Amino acid sequence: MGALQGRVAGVARYALLVLPLAFVAGALLVPLGLMFVWSFWERAGFWIRPAFTLASYAEFFAGVRLSVLERSLVVAAGVTLLGLLLAYPIAYFLALRVRRDLARNVLLLFTIPFLVNYIIRTFSWVYLLSRTGPVNRALMAAGVTQRAVDWLLFSDFAVFVGLISSYMPFMIYPLWAALDGLDRRLVEASWLLGASPRVTFLRVTLPLSMPGVFAAVIFGFVGTFGESAVPIILGGVGYQLMGNTITSALDVLNYPLAAAMSSVVVASMLAFLLVWYLAFDLRAVLGKIARWRF
Amino acid sequence: MGPGRAGRAVAWAYIAALLLFLYVPLAPPLRFSLGGGGEAGTRAGAVTLRWYRQLWDNPLLVGGVQNSLLVGALVGLITPPLALLAAMAVRELRRPRLIVATVLLPLFIPGVSMGLASAFFFRQLGVTPSLLTITTVHVVWALPFAFLIILAVMATFDPMYLEAAYLHGAGRLRAFVDVELPLIRHGILGAAIFSVILSFNETVRTALVQGPNNTVQTYIWSTFLQVGLSPTLYALMSLLIAVTLGLVAVLLLVGARGAVSARGG
Repeated sequence: MGALQGRVAGVARYALLVLPLAFVAGALLVPLGLMFVWSFWERAGFWIRPAFTLASYAEFFAGVRLSVLERSLVVAAGVTLLGLLLAYPIAYFLALRVRRDLARNVLLLFTIPFLVNYIIRTFSWVYLLSRTGPVNRALMAAGVTQRAVDWLLFSDFAVFVGLISSYMPFMIYPLWAALDGLDRRLVEASWLLGASPRVTFLRVTLPLSMPGVFAAVIFGFVGTFGESAVPIILGGVGYQLMGNTITSALDVLNYPLAAAMSSVVVASMLAFLLVWYLAFDLRAVLGKIARWRF
Repeated sequence: MGPGRAGRAVAWAYIAALLLFLYVPLAPPLRFSLGGGGEAGTRAGAVTLRWYRQLWDNPLLVGGVQNSLLVGALVGLITPPLALLAAMAVRELRRPRLIVATVLLPLFIPGVSMGLASAFFFRQLGVTPSLLTITTVHVVWALPFAFLIILAVMATFDPMYLEAAYLHGAGRLRAFVDVELPLIRHGILGAAIFSVILSFNETVRTALVQGPNNTVQTYIWSTFLQVGLSPTLYALMSLLIAVTLGLVAVLLLVGARGAVSARGG
C-alpha cells in the first residue's frame, strides 16, 4: 500500500468510527441545545420567533406549574427510593448468592416484561386496580375490607404502582453489575477481621456498590421525572407531572413554555450525569461488559 | 456466612412476587380482547375473535401496521452497524469513556424531552414529519441498547485472533471481516432484534415527531386519548404483546446459538 493510500484508508477508518458519535451529536445533542435556545424565544402565531425573553421561565416558575415541578420531584424521588429498596435485595442476592448462569436467567425474566410497551402495561393497571378489579376482589375475599377501596386507582398510589412497574426493572441491572464486579476478597477480609455480616455490608459491600446505586437512581429518576403517559392513565383528571404538563403546553401551542420546561428537566438530568461521570468509574457499572482499558 | 435455607426461600419468594407484579399486567388485554363486549346479542363471557377480525377493516390502523413494520425494519437495519462502529470506536479511539458516555446518553434523556427537541429541530430545519423522522428518533433511542449488546459480545472476543490475522498479512478490514465478524455475528443479530422490539414498543417520542403518520403504538395512544379503550384496542395490544414475546423468543434462540458457537469455536 502506498503512503497516500494508507493515509486515505486511515481517514476513512477514522470517519467511520466517528460516525455514530456524530449521529448522536446531530440527532440529540444539537436538538437539545437548540431547544434550550428556543426556550428564550417568543410565541408567534402557530410557531416561535427569535427574541431573548425570560417570559417562559417566568410563566413556569411563577404559575401553578411550579407546584407541578414540586410534585414531580417528590414523586420521582419517592419512586426512585422505593425502586431502589425493591431492587437492591434482588441484585444483591443474584450477584452474591446465586450461580452466575442462574442469575442471568432471572435477570432475563425481569427484562421480558420491560420490553412490552409500558403504556400497554399501564392500561392493564387501570383494570387491575379498579373498584371491581382483581386487587379489590382479592382484598374483599380476604376480609381485609368490606367495601371496594377507592384510592387504588386515579391516585398517587396508582401512579406509584405504574411508575414502579415501568422503571424498577431498569434499576436492577446497574446494581447487579456493580455487585457482580465486586472483589469478593474484600468481603472475606472483612469477615477475617471479625466484622459481623451487617457491618461488612454497611462498610464494605454497600460503599463499593455505590456506582451502581447512583446509576440506578439516575435510571429511576430519569424515567419518572419526565414521564408523560402514566400520570394521564393512572393519575385521573388533572393529575399533572412535568411530562404531561409539557405535552399540554404543546396542545395550546405554547412552544417556548414547553421548551423551557423540557430544558429544566434535561438540565437536571445532565447535572446528575455529570456528577456520576466525574465521581464514578463507568467500568463499575458496565461490569464485565467491557474489559478494555478506559 | 451464607444465609440459611429459610433465608434463600424468602429471597426466592420475594423475587417470584416481584416477577408476578411485573408479569400480571401482560394478561388483561388478552382477556378483554376475547370478550363479547357486553353489547346486545352477545353473551357475557363468550369468547369471540370478532375484535381481531375488525382490526383489518380499519384503514387507519392497517396504515399504522405498515408504518410500524417499515420503521421497525429500517431501525433494525440502521442501528446495529452504528452500534458496531461505536463499540469499535471505544476500542480503537482515544477517550473511550467519553465515547461510552455519549452513546449511552439517549438512555438518560426523558422521552418527552427527546421527542420535543427532535420535533422542534426538524420543524426549524424545514423537514416535514415522515417515517424517516420517526426512524431517526427510534435509532437514537435504540442505539445505546444495541451498543451494550454488541459491546458485551465483543468483550468475549480475544483480540489475539486479530493479531494473528495481522501477522498473516491481513489488513484491518480483512482481519475484521474474516476473523472478528463471524465470531460476533450473533451479537449483531441480537442487537438488530432488540432494536426492532424497541421500535415496535415506542410511543412517547414517536407521538411528537409522527406528523400525520401513525404507528400501531401512536394509534393506540391517540385512540385512548380521544375515545378511551375498547375491545379492538385490547385486541391490538394483545397482538403487540404476542409479537414482542415472539421476537424475544427469537432473540433468546440467537443468543443460545451464539453461546454454543462461541464455545465450539
